[in-house]
Formats: sequence, C-alpha cells, structure tokens
Amino acid sequence: MQRRDRGIAQSLGLPLTKRVKESRVLLVGAGGIGCEVLKNLVCSGFGSLPQYYGGEIASEISDMRRPEIVVVDMDTIDLSNLNRQFLFRKQHIKKYKALVAKETASQFNPSVNIDAQSGNIFDDKYDVAFFEGFDLVFNALDNLAARRHVNKMCLAADVPLIESGTTGFNGQVQAIKKGVTECYDCNPKPAQKSFPICTIRSTPSQPIHCIVWAKSYLFPELFGTSEEDSADVTVTEVDNVEEVAKLRIEAEALKTIRGLMGKSEFAQAVFDKVFRDDIERLRGMEEMWLSRRKPEVLCFEQFAPSMDKSEDVVERGRALAMKDQAIWSLAENLAVFSSAVDALSNRTLASPGTPLEFDKDDKDTLDFVASAANLRSHVFGIPLNSEWEIKQMAGNIIPAIATSNALTASLSVLEAFKIMRGASFEQKGVSKLTISHVAPTHNYMVTNGKEGFMLGGSKMVFLNSRSTERMITTQNLVPPQPDCAVCSPVYAKLRIPSNSSATLQDLVTLLQEKLGYEDFSIQADVGIIYDPDLEDNLEKGMIPAGYIKAGNGFLTVVDEGDEGRVDLVLSTSFTPNTTEADPESGLQLMPEEISLPSKHKSVAESNGQAMTTTEATGDASKVAAHFNAKRKRDAEEEVVGAKKRAKADEEVMVVEDDGAILLDD
Amino acid sequence: MSEKDKTVDVPPPLQHLPTAKQKKYDRQLRLWGATGQMALEESHVLLINNGPGVTGVETLKNLVLPGLGDFTILDTAIVSEADLGVNFFLEDASLGKFRAEETVRLLMELNPEVRGHALMEPIETVCMEQDALAKYNLIITAAPIDPAILARIHTQAQALNIPAFYLHSLAYFSSFSVQLPPAFPIVETHPDPTSTTDLRLLKPWPELSRFAKEKTAGFEEGTMSAHDKAHIPWLCLLLHYLEKWKQDHDGKVPEAFKEKTAFRETVRAGDYNEENFDEACAAVLKSLNPPTPPSDVRAVLTAPETQTLQHDSSDFWIIAKAINVFYAKYGQLPLPGAVPDMKAVSADYITLQNVYKTKARQDSAEVLATVRELEKPLGRTGPAVSEKEVENFCKGAAHIHLVRGRPQHTARAAGEEIRFGDRAQALANELANEESLVGLHLAFLAWDEYIATHHSSADKAGGQALHITGTSESDLEADTEKLTGIAHHLLDTLITEAGTFLEDPDYTAVKTRIANFCTELCRAGGGELHNIASLTGGLLAQEVIKVLVRQYVPVDNTCLFDGIASRTQVLRL
Repeated sequence: MQRRDRGIAQSLGLPLTKRVKESRVLLVGAGGIGCEVLKNLVCSGFGSLPQYYGGEIASEISDMRRPEIVVVDMDTIDLSNLNRQFLFRKQHIKKYKALVAKETASQFNPSVNIDAQSGNIFDDKYDVAFFEGFDLVFNALDNLAARRHVNKMCLAADVPLIESGTTGFNGQVQAIKKGVTECYDCNPKPAQKSFPICTIRSTPSQPIHCIVWAKSYLFPELFGTSEEDSADVTVTEVDNVEEVAKLRIEAEALKTIRGLMGKSEFAQAVFDKVFRDDIERLRGMEEMWLSRRKPEVLCFEQFAPSMDKSEDVVERGRALAMKDQAIWSLAENLAVFSSAVDALSNRTLASPGTPLEFDKDDKDTLDFVASAANLRSHVFGIPLNSEWEIKQMAGNIIPAIATSNALTASLSVLEAFKIMRGASFEQKGVSKLTISHVAPTHNYMVTNGKEGFMLGGSKMVFLNSRSTERMITTQNLVPPQPDCAVCSPVYAKLRIPSNSSATLQDLVTLLQEKLGYEDFSIQADVGIIYDPDLEDNLEKGMIPAGYIKAGNGFLTVVDEGDEGRVDLVLSTSFTPNTTEADPESGLQLMPEEISLPSKHKSVAESNGQAMTTTEATGDASKVAAHFNAKRKRDAEEEVVGAKKRAKADEEVMVVEDDGAILLDD
Repeated sequence: MSEKDKTVDVPPPLQHLPTAKQKKYDRQLRLWGATGQMALEESHVLLINNGPGVTGVETLKNLVLPGLGDFTILDTAIVSEADLGVNFFLEDASLGKFRAEETVRLLMELNPEVRGHALMEPIETVCMEQDALAKYNLIITAAPIDPAILARIHTQAQALNIPAFYLHSLAYFSSFSVQLPPAFPIVETHPDPTSTTDLRLLKPWPELSRFAKEKTAGFEEGTMSAHDKAHIPWLCLLLHYLEKWKQDHDGKVPEAFKEKTAFRETVRAGDYNEENFDEACAAVLKSLNPPTPPSDVRAVLTAPETQTLQHDSSDFWIIAKAINVFYAKYGQLPLPGAVPDMKAVSADYITLQNVYKTKARQDSAEVLATVRELEKPLGRTGPAVSEKEVENFCKGAAHIHLVRGRPQHTARAAGEEIRFGDRAQALANELANEESLVGLHLAFLAWDEYIATHHSSADKAGGQALHITGTSESDLEADTEKLTGIAHHLLDTLITEAGTFLEDPDYTAVKTRIANFCTELCRAGGGELHNIASLTGGLLAQEVIKVLVRQYVPVDNTCLFDGIASRTQVLRL
C-alpha cells in the first residue's frame, strides 16, 4: 500500500478502502456541490485502482465497469460561479465545467481515473445500460427535471443514488435505492408560484406583479414567442372573464406594434401602448377603481422636455444601466427602457428566426424587464426597486455559498461510505462483520430496534448552517411510498434490433404470452398508444412510430384487470441486428423472469436488501439471520408504517442515531 | 410571505462595489450584502496549523473563495507523502517543501483578490512577541498543540478582543470551539422569515385605528358590498373586533389562551367562508401578544454596557441605550414597519404599508433624537452614530442578539489539572443522555491532556515534538488505555465538581461511550479523513464568516461532529 493511502485505510478499514478504490461512480453535475464532491472522491481514493495494474484486472473488467469517476455536466463556466466552484478560475470562463473540473482535480492526484463528459444527462447515450455500470451515482444538480430524470434512470438500473441540494445556508442529502427507500418522486415537490392573470395584467399591488408582467408578458410579446399561458401566470377563478377577453385583444394590438421594430419610433410606440393606452383603458373601467387608486397614465412625450436634445436617450440609458444598485428615477427608467428596446430590437433583427428569451444574466433582457417593471410600478403607485433587487426576483436567484456546498458534498460522500459498506456486507456475507476493522459497523449492529436499517445505515441528512444549535441533523430513511408512480412499478428492459420491423401488435402479443396480460394499456413518451379500446396503432411499427427511440425511452404497461398487478416500466434499447430472440419480431424482454406482484404486495416484496426491524443485539449471527431472511411482512402493516413516517416527515423530525460505538476486536 | 418581503431582509448593496466583483460574489451578496462583503474583505485571518492540517486549509478555502482580505498560515511542517494523500491543496512537486508556503500558494490560485502569507516560525517564538497577534482579526488554531502554548494564544486573543477558534479533526470525529470577546453584539441576525413581526395590534396608534375604522365601517350592518367585505385586510378585522371586545371586557384585550380562543370565535362568526376571515383567525394566537421583548433583547437593554455609557462606548451600546429609553417610555420596541402579505385590494395594501412605514420612520426618528442627546455628554471623538445604523437597529430591534464570549475551555500545561468550574453543572446534565456528544468532548480534552503530559522534552520546539496517541502500531493498546484513563478521570472530576452523583447503569454507560470515543481517536493515530476535514472546514468557515461579517448568530461556543451518526451538537462551555 502506498503511504498516501495510509490515512484513509486507517480510518475506513482495509475492506472498505479496497471497495472504494475498486468502485465506479457517476457524478452528475460539476457545479457548486459537484466540484466539492469530486474533490472528496479524489481525496478519498474513489475509483483510483490503477487501470492496467498487473494486466489481470484490466483484462477482466470491461470499459463499462472499470474503476473510475465519471463526471457529466453540460454547462460552461460563468463568472458568478467562481465564489464557490473552486475548481474553476477566471481563465476558465466559458469552458466546459466537466472538462475543467477533471483538469484541475487531476493536478492533485495524476493517477486518479476521471472521465469527464460535457454532455446532457438527458442524452440517449446515457441510457439504462450506462447507469448500470456504476456502483453509485451522485446527483449534484440544480434543477428539478434533471433530478427526476436521474432518479428514474437509477431506479431502472437498480443503482443506489445519492441526491443532494443546497439553498443558501440549507442543504439536504438523501440516499435512494429501488425497493428499499423512498425515491426522489415519492414526495410531491412544491409547485411553482403562479399569479392570477388579472393581478398581473390589470391590478398589480406588489413589485413582483410588475416584474412578472414585464418578464412573462411584455418581453415575450415583443421579442420572444408569445406565450398564451406562461407558468407564472394562470387564468384562475378569481379572474373576471370579460377582463380576460379584453386582455387578449390588448395583447393582439401589441403584436401589431411589433411590426415597427427597427424604426426609430418603436420604443415610443411600445411605451405609449402599454403605459398610456392600456392604462387609459383600465382607468375607464370605473367599477374597478371604486376602492383602489386609479393608475397614472404615462406618455413618452411628457419626458421630452427633461431630455437634452443633444443627448441620445439610448446612450444615456446604457450608462445608467451600469448603476444597477441605484433606484432609477422615472426619467432614468425611461432612458434604460429605450436603450434596452434598442439593443433587443437590433438583436432580433439580426437573427429574425430566433426568439429571445429572458435570462437574468443577459444584461439587455434584464435592463428591459427592470425598467419596464419599474415604469409599471410607478403607474400603479408601487415602490420602485433597483435592478439588482429585480434581478433576484425575476431570475429566481437562489443564494449559494461555498460553505453549504462543502458541507453538503461531504455529507454525500459520508453516505457513500455507508452505502458501500452495506453493499460489501451484502456481497461477502455477514460473517465478515466480526472481523471488520471499520468502526462505523456499530451503526449496523446497534440499530435501536425501532427503525429499519437500510443501505449500510445511511440517513437522510439535513444541513442548516445558520442555526446555532442543530446544524446537521438526521432522519431515518423511509421505505418507498407504495403508490409512488415512479418507483412502485417493476422495471425491466425491452430490447429490439435497430432494424426490427416489430409492430405494436408484436409487443402486445409478447406481453400477453410472456406475462399473462389481459386488460392492459401501454404508454409511450408520446402518450397512451394502446388500451382495450384503442387498437388503431396495432399495425404501426414500433420504431417508425417513435414508440421506441434509440437509448432513453420508456414504455409503461398498466394492468387494467381486476387483479391490478403493479405497473411495468420497460426501458427500451437497441440491440445489434441479430435475431436470436423472438424470431418473429426480435423483441426481447429482460430479464427472462419478470414477476409482477399485485399492487399491494409490492413494497414488502423488496429485494434481498430488506430491512431488519427486530431489536438489535450485538450478535452478528442474529443480525445475519435478519439480514438474510427475506422478510415477508404483512403488506398492510407496511403501508401503515410508511404513512406514519410520511406524516412525521412533514416537519423536519430528527431521529438521532444511537451515539454508542461498538468496536470489534 | 411575499417575494418582496424576502428581499427586504437583504442589506442593500453599496454603490461603490465594482460590477465584475459584484457579479462574481452575487450569490453570496444575496445573503450578507455589501456591508458583510466589505467586512470580509477587510479581515485578516491567521491559521496556526498543526498535525495533518487538512481541516484548517479546507476552512481557508471556504474563506478565500468568498473573498477574505488576507490570510496567514503559520506552519513549520515540511510536506510529506502522507500530506499528499489527504490535502487537496498540495501537489507532487510540493514534496519536501514548507507546507505553509505550498498551501498558501495553491489556496491563492482560488481567488486572485485574496492575499496569502506563509509564516514558518515556531508558534512559541511568535506568540512571545508583544502584540504579535494584534494585526489579525481572527485566529484559528488546529490541534495538536502544546496546551501551554495554546493557552498563551488564547490569553493574547482575549486581551486584544480577537475571536479565536480551536479545532480538532481525527478520523470520523471533529470539534471546534470559539472564544468571542466578552460582549459580541449582532444587529443583523436575519431572523427566520416566518418569525412574527410586531404589528402593534394590541396598542394601535391613531392612524392605524383610523384606517381600520374606515375599512370596516358598515360591514356588520350590511351596508358594505360582499366584495369589499371579502377584501378587508385581516389586520383591520382584528382591530375592529378588538375594539368591540374591549367594550365588553372593561377595556381589556384578550390575554389568556381561553380568552383568545373565545375572541377567535367572535371573529369567525363574522364570516365562515372568506379567506380574509380565515387569515384573521389564524393570526389571533400569534399576533395578539403583548410586545414583550425576547430575553436576548432584554439582556442587551439591561446590560451594564447599556446602563453606563462611556466615551469609548461603541455605537451599538449608544443605540441600545436610546432604544431602552424608548422602551421605558412606551412599553414597546420601535415598530419594525413590515406588513405581512395578505388578501386585500392593492390600494388598501399599499396604504397599509405606508401607515406602518410612516410610523416606523417616526419611531426611528425618535430613537435617533435620543441618540444625539446621549452622544453630547460623552465627548466621543469618532464620527457620530449614523442615521442608517439607527434605522437598521430599530428595524431589527426585536431580534438583536448579544453573545457573551467565554474563555476557551482547553487542557492546561503539564502538571495543571483541568477544572470545569461553572461549566460543570451544564456538562454533567448531559452525561446521562445517551445521544449527547459530551463524551466526545471529554475524549478530545483527554487527547490534549495526553499531549500536555507526553511531549518529549528533548525537542521542545514545534508540533513535531508532540507525541500523538496511536501513532505507532505497537503503542496502540497502551495509548488507548492511557487515553481512556485520562478521560475517565476527567469524567469523575466533572461529576465531583458538579456536586452530583451518576447512578448505574448511567455511569457505566457513559464510561463505555467515552472509552469507545477514545479508542477511535487513538486508532486514527492523529490522522485526518479528507471528507471529515472538508465537512468540518465547511462548518468552521461558516462560523468564521458569521463572526467576521457580524451577521447571523454564531455558535456559542463548542460544536462537536460525529461522522458516524452524521450529526452535530453544540455545547455552551
């Protein structure tokens, strides 16, 4: 053993150190948390087994399984990343995060195996087979869609996932394993805040209403794709139907004005339309203003006297826009508005086919939204804000600091140790426990008897570093929600030669014959393609109709029969053009045996990693017995238990671990 | 809480931050603002690094990234092969060079705006010099260190009013404690956004009463339209019903829980469906409390520093005294001025905001006038207390916090026994709690005590001379026994000093827990686990930032981390 590893081996114990070195892990995201996770993985020796060590190992391990850290990130580096994403420097701005992260991290330890990929995790090449190659996956993402996607891929590939996230001083780490714990989608995620359309378009009362108006209505109408229903704004029952109809006409009129783009009077025409004409129309609706202050009409011309003729208003706006911490006066907002309209018009005319999108880091779009929102705030007697403040509200900026990322990433890797330790026991048999030098085994052996032991004693970990009492707290992992649409189905694979002429009928027949389906439906990415009353698609070819795509597709088979077996999710993939499988169609289900329990039994019938719930003893043989026993628990009890825990989950409940340490030898 | 209110918490940025820098620091400025950023950029942190030294360097990484002004690493160690395996901020070429210089160089790469300095002198020479520590704003010392020298550092820091941190990081375990100045006040504590703001519903001022009367006129008599009734702001509803309640109850407001629930019934009876009535009912219990300041605030108002102002009193104490004058006069703190989000028509909501803002401005002006009165006889030489500072203080008056820093509780020089003194009681209370990490604290104390009594006299200079438990395989068992013996002795001292008695099985249980921690610490052989160092560096840096920017409430004063259970515990020692 190299002297470098001594410290790690001393603390982790030899068996776990070996496992860590042999591991192949995937890190999705090389941003705030990702940089930190990568550093900790590299410094803990993950995937560091020499690849061509002695020839023996290299020959046995295929490329898809060799010890390595694979990093996937599609983003490039931005200046605002540098306050925390410490693998990046100023000279790296605009380069790919994954590649630079590898380059910097490799300097620390040149012998480390990192495979950096500047790709989108949604890409077809990152299919179920790709995920199956890993011992562990780390999510270090910043958006819900990608988190949910990786969650699903890990469920399909049956690979443990460590999910993490931070917001300001807070962070959270959660281990996920199919059939053992809750998945990312077991708990509904809060919906995006949306405002009633009339509040945004007719009766704003807060700065945010004016910002949403500028960002989600005015901006796309002028420079982007007109969106009838943006996610920020919805027609709700409190909205007045007649008013909604009038608002539609108003938006149409704006489209006409869009035709003036590029002409010198464009900014003035827009201004007078939205701050004069539309406001005058609103003022005319007397019943609306019985209990409210009437909005004030603004007119472009009224500012003319205050403007020096010799000075270009666009130039003036450009200079003002640099002072984004100041609260601009009305005339200053008008100047910024003019210059932003000018800049955005030029960009739109330069490439007519590409609609612009609001981006908080795109200064022109931010200038436009900030000035338009402020002008509207003035009209309605709402306090104005600086562009800096508007940026936060418009861009949904989440504060991010180095410390929270460092903490959350370290907590992720700590959970990784536990999961790997758990996995090694599972593989090697529990008797090994007694000769282990790894202190943390106490966690495994001394469970408190009340809660189950999962994934090597892994916990849900919460970080609240602004707290002065409980900065890091834990909660036991919770078994899967039995009705979770994402993790309750059985996942299997459907393979098809890429030149196959198989039709939907072939698949239906296969499912009927192999799995005994009678009344059922099939859902593809495009929607429901088959059910007992929908037979129109049967003759269509699976590939030409787009039901099966290269790589990343899923088909969901729902049993509509009385027995109600759990859903079956088939991940689809192409095989080389051979037809050794079903000679007719080439369709092949994997694995050979797929057992589909009835909907209520699915949870109790989890795989060999079922949890022990009996009292802990220090007795390894008893633990072994529990561990090995496939527990068949009463399904109902399981459901009740899950519900109870789910309830406790509502307020961050802290279930602390037994502080004792049980040391062997 | 509306979007707008969230941003109000953030201190406004200053005009003179250059834009590129502001963009780089944007995501953190959203938390501590430009004033916090400037405080950070004006600070110089000293790290006295010992042992493997990973946690200290990881801490600095988290301070260099957000733009600390200066840092100095004092470290006499030479980079070894073992260092390369665990410290990210070293490279192969560093081997055999001074660790201080190498870590400083690589840390500086993270942020060209930060200045780093390396010191290779032994700490005992450095801290013999008069005021050698005076140029630093904060000191972090990493164990292992001779407790006698550590005590000298902490005494100097105390005399200079410099916050001093001391950290341990061994295998799966870590701890750090902070010694803050005896009076460490914080104005910008950033209270939880869900904490209730004082709305003065029990003591409304005339403008607020008038507005409520206007908005509620005729709704019970049926002369108001259903639309208008459904849009009466809940504040006004409560004020309206409170007036009625007072008429029926000798002018008294509902106080006891039963009265409040009865009061809530009368509000509910006003309308069973409308959202604004729901909001009013929901607010009864939390918004109708007498404006008694929390104990933290009372501690500030009654502190000796507030009572007797001196010519060198800081602005904080002068404003605190003025607030105390205000409180004595009105029985309440200055109005913060914020209004929660609620169902209301826009114009009413805006008017209501103005009613509160105007009153808040009046209160703040009154406090400012008192501040000016107080300043006169003091003969202060510096600039007058700024209006902005008074405003800020008034806005957050209900949430100001005072930390009374305490000297570090560490092992003593060889031959001096560790005493617990007034800490004994609180610590002893933790002993029977099997989830408490008090045992880990005792194990770390014992670990330091072992160093105090075991460092080889042949080589007194520098960290290398220290004998660390478990560094050689052959000594492991003997060392573990010794360490456990020291820790158990500490336990008995603690129990005796606390004047308590711990019954079995609790006594045996706590002894076993302590022995287990000792075995773990010994087995680490002084080694750090990178992941734990990184985590502890995150925790520690977060506290350092809180202390340097004087925002948010820092840990008071010892934080223990158990990496096996993944949790922290804070003890006040």
